[in-house]
Amino acid sequence: MQQRERRLGLLYAAPLSLFLLLTFLAPILLVAGFSTMPEKVFSLTQMPDFSAYRTVLEQGYWKSVAWSLFMALLATLILLVICWPLAYGMAKVFKRFTLVLTIGVVMTLFVSENIRLFGWVLTLMKGGLIEGYWRYWTGQGFDAPLYNGPIIVFGLVYVYLPFMLFPLAQGISMVPDDARQAAYDLGASRWQILKEIDLPLAMPGIMVGSLLTFVLAAGAMAESKLLGGRAIITIADEVQTAFTYGQNWPLGSALAMVLIAIIGTVAIWAISKADLDAMMGRKS
Amino acid sequence: MKTSRLSTALLIAYGIAILGFLYLPLVSVGLASISKARYLSFPIRKYAFGWYEDALTSDTVRDLLVISLKVAGVVTVASMVIGFFGALAFARYNWRFRKTYQKLILLPIFFPQTVLGLALLMWFNALGVVPSWKTAIIAHLVWIAPIATLVVSIRAFSFDAALEEAARDMGANQWQTLREVTIPLLMPGVTSAGLFAFLLSWGNFPLSLFSTGADSTLPEWLFAKMVSGYSPLVPTVGMLTVATSAVLVFGGLILAWAIRRLRPES
Amino acid sequence: MTDSSPPILRINALTKTFDDFTALHGINLNVRDGEFLAIVGPSGSGKTTLIRILVGMDEPSDGAVWLRGTRIDVVPANKRPTCMVFQSLALFPHRSVGQNIEFPLKLRGVAPAERKARALELLDTLRLPRDYYSKRIQQCSGGEKQRVALARALAFDPEILFFDEPLSALDYRLRKTLEKELKDLHRRTGKTFIYITHSLEEAMVMSDRIAIMKAGRFEQIAPAEEIYARPVSKFVAEFMGEVNFFDLVKGAAPGVALSAAASAALAGQTGTLTIRPESLRKLTAEGVADLSFEGIVTAEYLLGSRIQYRMTLATGQEMIVEVLRENAVEGGIGAALRVGCDLSAAHLIAEAADAAA
Repeated sequence: MQQRERRLGLLYAAPLSLFLLLTFLAPILLVAGFSTMPEKVFSLTQMPDFSAYRTVLEQGYWKSVAWSLFMALLATLILLVICWPLAYGMAKVFKRFTLVLTIGVVMTLFVSENIRLFGWVLTLMKGGLIEGYWRYWTGQGFDAPLYNGPIIVFGLVYVYLPFMLFPLAQGISMVPDDARQAAYDLGASRWQILKEIDLPLAMPGIMVGSLLTFVLAAGAMAESKLLGGRAIITIADEVQTAFTYGQNWPLGSALAMVLIAIIGTVAIWAISKADLDAMMGRKS
Repeated sequence: MKTSRLSTALLIAYGIAILGFLYLPLVSVGLASISKARYLSFPIRKYAFGWYEDALTSDTVRDLLVISLKVAGVVTVASMVIGFFGALAFARYNWRFRKTYQKLILLPIFFPQTVLGLALLMWFNALGVVPSWKTAIIAHLVWIAPIATLVVSIRAFSFDAALEEAARDMGANQWQTLREVTIPLLMPGVTSAGLFAFLLSWGNFPLSLFSTGADSTLPEWLFAKMVSGYSPLVPTVGMLTVATSAVLVFGGLILAWAIRRLRPES
Repeated sequence: MTDSSPPILRINALTKTFDDFTALHGINLNVRDGEFLAIVGPSGSGKTTLIRILVGMDEPSDGAVWLRGTRIDVVPANKRPTCMVFQSLALFPHRSVGQNIEFPLKLRGVAPAERKARALELLDTLRLPRDYYSKRIQQCSGGEKQRVALARALAFDPEILFFDEPLSALDYRLRKTLEKELKDLHRRTGKTFIYITHSLEEAMVMSDRIAIMKAGRFEQIAPAEEIYARPVSKFVAEFMGEVNFFDLVKGAAPGVALSAAASAALAGQTGTLTIRPESLRKLTAEGVADLSFEGIVTAEYLLGSRIQYRMTLATGQEMIVEVLRENAVEGGIGAALRVGCDLSAAHLIAEAADAAA
């Protein structure tokens, strides 16, 4: 039997592994290769000179990197606070409403991010849903809160909410009720239960949710383009610009490598810590 | 230390508020799609469904729809097949590199899609492949096939290994075991994976942007119109794609419910 | 521990109703300071509901609970001077043994050095090595976890310590050891213990008094020997172990041969005679006893030092007899058997008492 499982595992893993080798790892290696080329070349035949990386440092691209990471961090922290009570409700309090919430939130994932962000533009713009009706009822208009830095973070919070909510709910559901009750019985206040029991025991969910949100938000671009009016240019946007308008593949590749390095480090660290079998409830 | 009624009510209200927050922009898009005015401004003075008529009869929209459907259709079928086998290796069988394989599969899901799209564009270019809707299928699959694998894996994780062994013990060969035991047991997972795959491909923009070449999908067209001047068709076409997703999700949910109801043994 | 001292816990007309089900029917109970009280009942008898109300996890629908004269049923669990050892033990898996024990002290803001000193003391009390202080909970065995949970509860220094079947998940031998340890611990600490369990055996070994619960009411509250010897109802008698019942109508019991003295004593009485299998002794054909029975052995079971026989009487009634191994019945299954007991070994549950229950 074990022999058979070993053979079948390898056999069944082959299609997806080979596919990802060819369409995921190979392209990344290609990007890595291009990032070492002299700027503005379109082949890998030149002598590597790493000049694109120098440009990344000297031309202030690090600001985009810093902004992207800062906004991603901010969005992650805001989401932690926003999602915690709801995730707690889903894991410990609600009965049927948990299913309603789950379906309701998952549904939004299937609507193109563009349409949802565009919807916020229609909602928040001058003459949009909120300002339009406000002016209609009160006679007082106000400026649209669009096209600035904070609205980009707002967009990130909006788009990545499900990626924080579900891991958190999963994490909180793993906190044994008995442990909470025992702490309460031993004299802990609600706040002490949160600090001493809930937070440490839900930590796997908190980590997964935070890393997922952070990684996705750090590579985001649409929020800045659609809501933020590119008030802050994100690193992913810079990558795209370098490739398309700039026609500078090595620069785009070098910028992409910086992003890949940051996200890859966080993601690989997180993935290597996670025990997927345990998290997904494997039998034996 | 039960949660009091008041806290429960407050939490439910909070949940409803969050749902409202998530759906508010779609309300705006929906209202905009039935505004008669060429230049949208709230409050809407006159409602009309004219834009839907325009959208449904437009050749551009039809071409976009055909391409989006072709891409999503192929992605769905491919994801179901890859996901089925991928999940067995992911969750079910004990083999040497399983942990490594599990981690490899997660990487594309975390990866920034814009960068992935661009990397694939360079890769297709290096291979001498001209990008079209066919390359978009590949691009979508890089992200969606791993997700489909995870979805099927959830089902495969609860799979009782003894069932396959029992079938083999009774003399079933590899193929018979697969056909009689493994496939039927994993089918619900494979179906959900197919639904996920279709919906995610249908709504995807960042991967399509760089991989479709001269072809264009609905989300791409919508984005182009959003950033380069407003078209009254944008909310309308947007709502049509949302409606398609909604119909599929609810269809899927109802189907799952009906199957569970009709099956006598469970 | 005399009856005249004021009770530490007074439960008055405690009622708990769920939507369409009454779990507790106006229960009354006084618990003496320093006693070990076991509340025993089958599942669904309301004992878990009762203990949850007593520690503050649930609210009663009606009635009140006083602790040393202070009404506590309105006080939230985290403000009550009582605490509970959970069935699952509810040890915090993310904290070490020491941190678990110190938890209640930490909540009260006790200084770390003092906390640690107290935790080490408690490790000694529970006979755990001091180096367990920094051990992880997952590294402890079932019995060690039990002791850690006890140490944590003692660190809280409760007025009353509640136990919710904490031994039920352990294997037989370990359970036996811990029952005795718990009894010793009770003696050494002098605290009031209230222990709920479905196992009468457990209750008998440890407790000063046993309260037997049935369908949301107390059936009998008394020391173990009294409940065993003088059960108030058939339910209690059966709950206390295997027992033979014989209907007694106006002094006559079919299937039971009564001596002259026994006939006189039971004359005119109606009720149920209860006779424990082990109080019966083998009789020779001409042997005499206050009560005697004759039948055919239909089954035999070896119980270590004793042998249990099932026999069928002439009336068709089945009867269980337990004798020492050296008194084994010759011929075994199919053999004729005559047994008897003294009148003092047969307890009469009067008609009215059982009807009320």
